[in-house]
Amino acid sequence: MPLVTVDGQQIEVEPGATIIQAADRLGVEIPRFCYHPDLRPEGNCRMCLVQVEGFARLVVACATPVTDGMVVSSPHTSAETAEAVQGVLEFLLINHPLDCPICDQAGECSLQDFYMHPDYGLHTSQVDVVEKVRKRKRIELGPRIVLDSERCVMCSRCVRFSADISGLAELQFIHRGNRVELIAFEDRALEDPYAGNLADLCPVGALTSRDFRFRRRVWHLAHTDSVCAGCSTGCNLRIDHAENRIERLVPRRNPAVNSSWICDEGRLSYLRANGPDRLSQPLLSGGEEVAWPDGIRHAQELLATDDASGTRPLLALASASATNESLLLFKHLVTRAFPHHRLDFRLSQETDLVGARQDHLLRRWDKHPNTMGAFYLGFSEQPGGLDDYLQAAEAGDCVALVLLYYPPLVGDELPPVAAALARLLELCPHSVVLTTHRLPYLKGASLSLPVAAWAEEEGTYTNYQGTVQHSAKATEPPGAAREATAVLADLLHTFTNHRPSTAPEVLFAELEHTVAAYRGLDYQHLPSRLASVYPPEGRMHYGEEGFSGR
Amino acid sequence: MAKRDSQVVDVRARAEATRARVPQDVMGILSGQEVTLRQMIRQTVGRHHVTIQYPEQRKPYSRRFRGVHVLTQRQDGSLKCTACYLCETVCPAECITIEAKEVSAPGIEKGPARYEIDLSRCIFCGLCVEACPEEALIMSREYDLTARSRGPESLRYGIKELTERPEIAAYGSGFRPHMQYPLVESYLPLTARPAAAAQPPAKRSKRR
Ligand code: SF4
Ligand code: SF4
Ligand code: SF4
Ligand code: SF4
Ligand code: FES
Repeated sequence: MPLVTVDGQQIEVEPGATIIQAADRLGVEIPRFCYHPDLRPEGNCRMCLVQVEGFARLVVACATPVTDGMVVSSPHTSAETAEAVQGVLEFLLINHPLDCPICDQAGECSLQDFYMHPDYGLHTSQVDVVEKVRKRKRIELGPRIVLDSERCVMCSRCVRFSADISGLAELQFIHRGNRVELIAFEDRALEDPYAGNLADLCPVGALTSRDFRFRRRVWHLAHTDSVCAGCSTGCNLRIDHAENRIERLVPRRNPAVNSSWICDEGRLSYLRANGPDRLSQPLLSGGEEVAWPDGIRHAQELLATDDASGTRPLLALASASATNESLLLFKHLVTRAFPHHRLDFRLSQETDLVGARQDHLLRRWDKHPNTMGAFYLGFSEQPGGLDDYLQAAEAGDCVALVLLYYPPLVGDELPPVAAALARLLELCPHSVVLTTHRLPYLKGASLSLPVAAWAEEEGTYTNYQGTVQHSAKATEPPGAAREATAVLADLLHTFTNHRPSTAPEVLFAELEHTVAAYRGLDYQHLPSRLASVYPPEGRMHYGEEGFSGR
Repeated sequence: MAKRDSQVVDVRARAEATRARVPQDVMGILSGQEVTLRQMIRQTVGRHHVTIQYPEQRKPYSRRFRGVHVLTQRQDGSLKCTACYLCETVCPAECITIEAKEVSAPGIEKGPARYEIDLSRCIFCGLCVEACPEEALIMSREYDLTARSRGPESLRYGIKELTERPEIAAYGSGFRPHMQYPLVESYLPLTARPAAAAQPPAKRSKRR
């Protein structure tokens, strides 16, 4: 293993690693534009110049592999390097418009950070504003991205992303010298379903997000690390929010799950939670809104009408968009309060689709973030699913229904599932629905209880690989809505006279204790990959068909 | 025991000395009143007034006076403000609220959909004006503000109030960080009477 010294600090790195990787691991910030950990190195911007002892001239840190005993000085410590980096900055600033006041990148702009840097910053330009080369501004490349070619520093990150990662190769440079310009052919709209990532990876404000455009200045945002609940992939992301509203979602790097990317649908999934159709008060079937104590009392009355003969079961259905913690309490409620019950999570073919790719990159067909979690919690022990429930209800074999339902954050509910849910609510004599939104197909519920949506509650999801990830709370639920765990704890208390803790770490500890797959996991050290990964042992099946692994 | 230690004090001498000092003490008080008396005579007989008849009379203030804000406009009447939020960011009283919108004029991309200063919280420090990169926000010399509620008639001034009130012109412009002020003119003597034209109009009774 080569041993390298950067600015006096030593580190051992694997052979073939570059200087910039070693420096990143040491926490030495080497300025860069074109280097990106998940893109192929190109070494075109020359911003990462460093001095290496014994080398005649400066080298680029992003494309020079380390050798044993290398001694590297960054612009923070070497005056010669700092001067060279200043030279590069001067070239970049010659024609830069310095639109910072109206540029959405300001505050998280690499160019801004570098030209203000105390060690190698340079914020004087020799060129008068009227002599600058003007290029085209405000070019809308489809519904996600706005291009401002004057601000581009020609690092080609976007070009490489488009060519290598999404594979559509929609961006290219034209012209030469200081007239180089980034274009999409004929300014056509980008077709890339991952185009939103261009705004994140562009180090300056040349590619910015259409959705976030002018919404907030970034320094007014609070950040919460979380995971996406749009599909079973569980991409790591950061929730940027202000004044109890989510303003945007940006990816967080996790090489084991999503590299540095998220899909555009997931990026916009927060719009559903921010939407106007949220359920904010417990609601009776007649449309009357009631307070929580009454809501819980109604739930007790509706569900306590247990069949005298005890032959007809309570049907319990929880969608796999609930957190592991909510599912655990849901299971406790059903198993402890209703001796005769059926428990399931399958609305459709989640178990078949959980690992099925929708494209070559991230998206998966199963739009539930926690299908694996529901599976490991034993929600699918008998053959069944929504269709089976429907058959039972048609045959009158059902005393009541309790449903924990979250509409998908990506796309709409599948029409057959929505129709089946509506029919099931119609057939069941009593039904209590815990949900986030006022949904037309859940209108038939005898009682709807409002629960917190994704990003309004803390918990864990187990993604398609069996990686348990932490989903954080960023905002408060609207109106009187409460976390599902709190509502379920209230119900448990009503039915069993025992109130469980709703603290996620306590519930997770119980999971770790009682569910074999989670043995040894620690809530404080997530994400953790389960020992047994997809396809899991045991049966995952739908209806009478066996599980078909993919 | 106490008796044996007690002493007889003769206070007559002390009383005598105090009596002898009386004229001196009266003169001391009178000399202390001298300033007051002199001013009283100057102002009643000599009609040399230090106070003014506010609000009928008003004092002119320095041209760098930091009064109520003004949002400046381009020649076509649109706001110069680009909704960069720098004023909102720098404001120590956190009394500026901006919402940005897309503007489609050529060469202009961004502008304010809403711009509001809560003048009842403002401390008139002028930092917002100094932060503005566009000279879109300057200050006037308007200093007397009243409001009847915290609600609709409050001192939360929006775009309309910050651009179109007649008072702005009447008071004249104040602090503009990029302006070179002639030093002599900027400190008018306090006794100068405001010219009739510069008299602000009677304060409005109601806004909106
Ligand atoms: S790209 Fe950066 S430096 Fe250029 S205008 Fe935008 S924020 Fe300013
Ligand atoms: S648009 Fe951004 S990412 Fe693309 S080359 Fe220019 S600066 Fe780099
Ligand atoms: S004058 Fe000071 S307190 Fe008032 S709005 Fe400006 S920055 Fe805020
Ligand atoms: S600093 Fe000036 S341009 Fe920026 S938002 Fe405030 S008034 Fe508008
Ligand atoms: S980051 Fe190394 S040359 Fe661009």
